[in-house]
Amino acid sequence: MSKILMIDDSGLSRRMMRQILEAGGHETIEASDGIAGLEQYFLEKPDLVMLDMTMAGMSGLEVLEKLRQMDPNAKVIVATADIQSSTRALVEAAGAKNMINKPLEKDAVLRAVADTLNETR
Amino acid sequence: MNLSNEQKDALTELINIAFSRAAAALSDLTGHRVGINVPEIAVHPIRELGSILERFVREEVASVHQIFSGPVAGDAMLMLNREGANILIDLLSDEERNKGPLDETGQEVLTEIGNIILNACLGMFGNLLKVHVSFSVPVLHLESLSAMLDTLVIGQEELRYALVIYTTFNLKGSAVTGYMVIVLGVASLDRLIRAVEDWAQIQSS
Repeated sequence: MSKILMIDDSGLSRRMMRQILEAGGHETIEASDGIAGLEQYFLEKPDLVMLDMTMAGMSGLEVLEKLRQMDPNAKVIVATADIQSSTRALVEAAGAKNMINKPLEKDAVLRAVADTLNETR
Repeated sequence: MNLSNEQKDALTELINIAFSRAAAALSDLTGHRVGINVPEIAVHPIRELGSILERFVREEVASVHQIFSGPVAGDAMLMLNREGANILIDLLSDEERNKGPLDETGQEVLTEIGNIILNACLGMFGNLLKVHVSFSVPVLHLESLSAMLDTLVIGQEELRYALVIYTTFNLKGSAVTGYMVIVLGVASLDRLIRAVEDWAQIQSS
C-alpha cells in the first residue's frame, strides 16, 4: 500500500480519484490547492502525488516545479482534462513521471500508479 | 466577414471531431450514450450575439466559461438547461440533494463537467492544429443569457466579430440539452482559419 497525495481544486475529481485509489489498496490524502498541496507533501512525505493542472492560485505546472525543487525525487502523475500532446510534453519536461486524462478511468489510473511506483523502487 | 464554402467545410469537420471527443468524455463521465448534432458555424458581429443565442437559449442557463489563450485565444462556454444541469449533478453526486438553488456540491460538479468537456474539445483543436492552448480556471455562471454574455472575455483583441460555433448534445432522452459556444476575436479567427486550411490541405493530400 502506498500513500498518495491528491492535489486538485475540484471536489468531484478528488472524490473520483479517492474511490479509485482506495479500491486499489492505497492510502490517500488531499489538498484543494497548490499551497496546501506543497504543505501536505512536506508534512506527510507521500510516495506519489496526483496533480491537477488548471487550478486557481498556483497552477499545476508551478506546483510541479516547486515540488521538484523541494524534492528532486518526487514522483508526480499529472491528472488533467487537457488532452493536448503539447501539454504532455510540457509536464514531462517539468519532471512529471506520467500524465493521465480526465474523465478518470480506473484501470488507466491504477496502471499509471503501479508503473510510476515500480519504476524507481 | 464571411467564410468561404471550403473554409466552412474544413472548419465544420475539425469541430465535428473536437465536439465528438467532448461528447465521448461526457458519456464516460455519466455512463449514458450522448447524442451530438452537426455543429453550426457562423461569424457574427459581437453586438448581435445576444439575439443569435436567444434563438437557442431562452431560459436561465447554467454556463461554464473557460478562457483560453495562445496562438488562438477566446472564450469557450458550455451552456446547460437548468433541468439538464440538475440531472447531471444527480448522476455524478453520491448524496441526495434537494431541487432548490444549486448547492456547493452541485456547482462543483457542473464546473468540473464543463472543464472536462471544454478541454476535450479545445484540446483536440490544439492537437490537430499543432498549437498549444492554455486554459484558465473554469468559472460557473448561473444567470440569464444577457447577464452571461456580459461576462464574455476575448483577450485584448478588437471585439468586432466573433466566430460562434454551436451544437446541441443530448442524453437521457433529450432531458439534458447542452450548447457549446466558442467565441473568438478577429485576429484569432484569422489564425484559426489559416491553421484549418493547412490542416485540410494535409488531410486531403
